[in-house]
Amino acid sequence: METNGNPVVLLVDDEEMVITSVRAFLSLETDYQIEGFTDPERAAAYIKDRPFDVIVSDYLMPKLTGIQLLKRAKDAAPEASRILLTGHADKQSAIDAINDVALFQYIEKPWDNMQLLLAIQGGIERTRLLRDLRDRMAELAAANDSLKDVHRRLIKAFL
Amino acid sequence: MKEDDQIEALRRQLAEEHSMAQLGRLLAGIVHEINTPIGSILSNNQVVLRSLEMLKSDLEQLTGEKQAHARALVASCQSLAQVDKIACERISYIVRGLKSFARADAGEMQWVDLADQIAATLKLVQGQFGRRVKFENEVPATLPRIQCHPGKLNQALLNIIVNGAQAIEGEGRVTISAEPREGRVTIRIQDTGKGIPASARDRILRAGYTTKPPGEGTGLGLAISRQIIEDLHGGALDFISAPDQGTTFIIELPVEQVNRGDERQSSSASRG
Ligand SMILES: Nc1ncnc2c1ncn2[C@@H]1O[C@H](COP(=O)(O)OP(=O)(O)OP(=O)(O)O)[C@@H](O)[C@H]1O
Ligand SMILES: [Mg+2]
Repeated sequence: METNGNPVVLLVDDEEMVITSVRAFLSLETDYQIEGFTDPERAAAYIKDRPFDVIVSDYLMPKLTGIQLLKRAKDAAPEASRILLTGHADKQSAIDAINDVALFQYIEKPWDNMQLLLAIQGGIERTRLLRDLRDRMAELAAANDSLKDVHRRLIKAFL
Repeated sequence: MKEDDQIEALRRQLAEEHSMAQLGRLLAGIVHEINTPIGSILSNNQVVLRSLEMLKSDLEQLTGEKQAHARALVASCQSLAQVDKIACERISYIVRGLKSFARADAGEMQWVDLADQIAATLKLVQGQFGRRVKFENEVPATLPRIQCHPGKLNQALLNIIVNGAQAIEGEGRVTISAEPREGRVTIRIQDTGKGIPASARDRILRAGYTTKPPGEGTGLGLAISRQIIEDLHGGALDFISAPDQGTTFIIELPVEQVNRGDERQSSSASRG
């Protein structure tokens, strides 16, 4: 799953107002492609077969908690960065789950736009570096394989 | 009698802690509900101010009467948005204040002799239930000192011991034992009371669950105890019970409080 064009950022919050606000802010400040969801299950369906760089999710939502959603995001796209944007009352459960989903960042509501932007920028950078690393490891493995092959043929030819 | 006074004072303190805990939960809920709309308004406000700034510079390109009118409108929107910003920051400031209140700080941790604390707590309940319930203290004097909030911890112990005594109809026994193991201490509070039915197991530790008549039980005792033991001290609260065979509450506490609280979240939250 690659995203070569503009970074894709997913926003998931059952409150429409959060998505509207964050979308307006990010559209003004960045060129990210923003996908907003008020229904976490629709977000879960989206991430199954479409590439994204960062997912920002609320914690307490009907049907699926933010942690459950981020867990699915981790399975679907391990390199993508996961950010939890949530209220104070969810804090403990959120912290407890941080390790389960390898959370990149935790931001408390009411959020600060600059802090959110920095987190998303950092997340995109991390995602792209990880993908780059993964590709190079694959190249290296392929090179290694063909080297082994040459080695094998050399031995065959001379023995 | 002196002990009666002591118990009355303790009862009042407990009642007060209950209503404080209730208030704390209420506040935490309100803060949680307010934070989302405030976050939204603050964010929109920034976007509006930035947009007005851009609009203003675009308007420089225009000329004539229309331009003057448009610029005046932008200027008045800008000053209104500035006021909104200040107003919203003020709400946010108040909410932050409520937030720290809802956290109900317990002050500094102290190193205390756990055996002493348990003995003192038992003394208190003896006055109230001593005639029909026998309290047996099997806590070894060699128990290590532990790092804790002694007042809070005693409150949790007292809640659980009182529950045990209240579960006994007629005569019975409440036995307290403790043992250290690998940096933790396990305290057992065992009663010969009526036991907890398996069907109630999941509800027992929840706030508001009580089988006692109104005015006698608030159903907050165990919820607060769990908060004190688990959230405040990083311990664990559990119980085993069978109907008619009594109940044993098991409290596990770390001897030393290492890296708890705020440090934990900031260090683990920032790297993926
Ligand atoms: N040791 C016990 N044996 C049997 N039932 C118990 C025991 N401890 C608690 N329970 C049950 O759990 C319920 C909840 O306990 P909790 O201490 O939270 O509240 P409460 O004792 O009812 O009220 P309060 O907190 O005001 O004392 C009790 O009403 C009782 O039914
Ligand atoms: Mg009780």
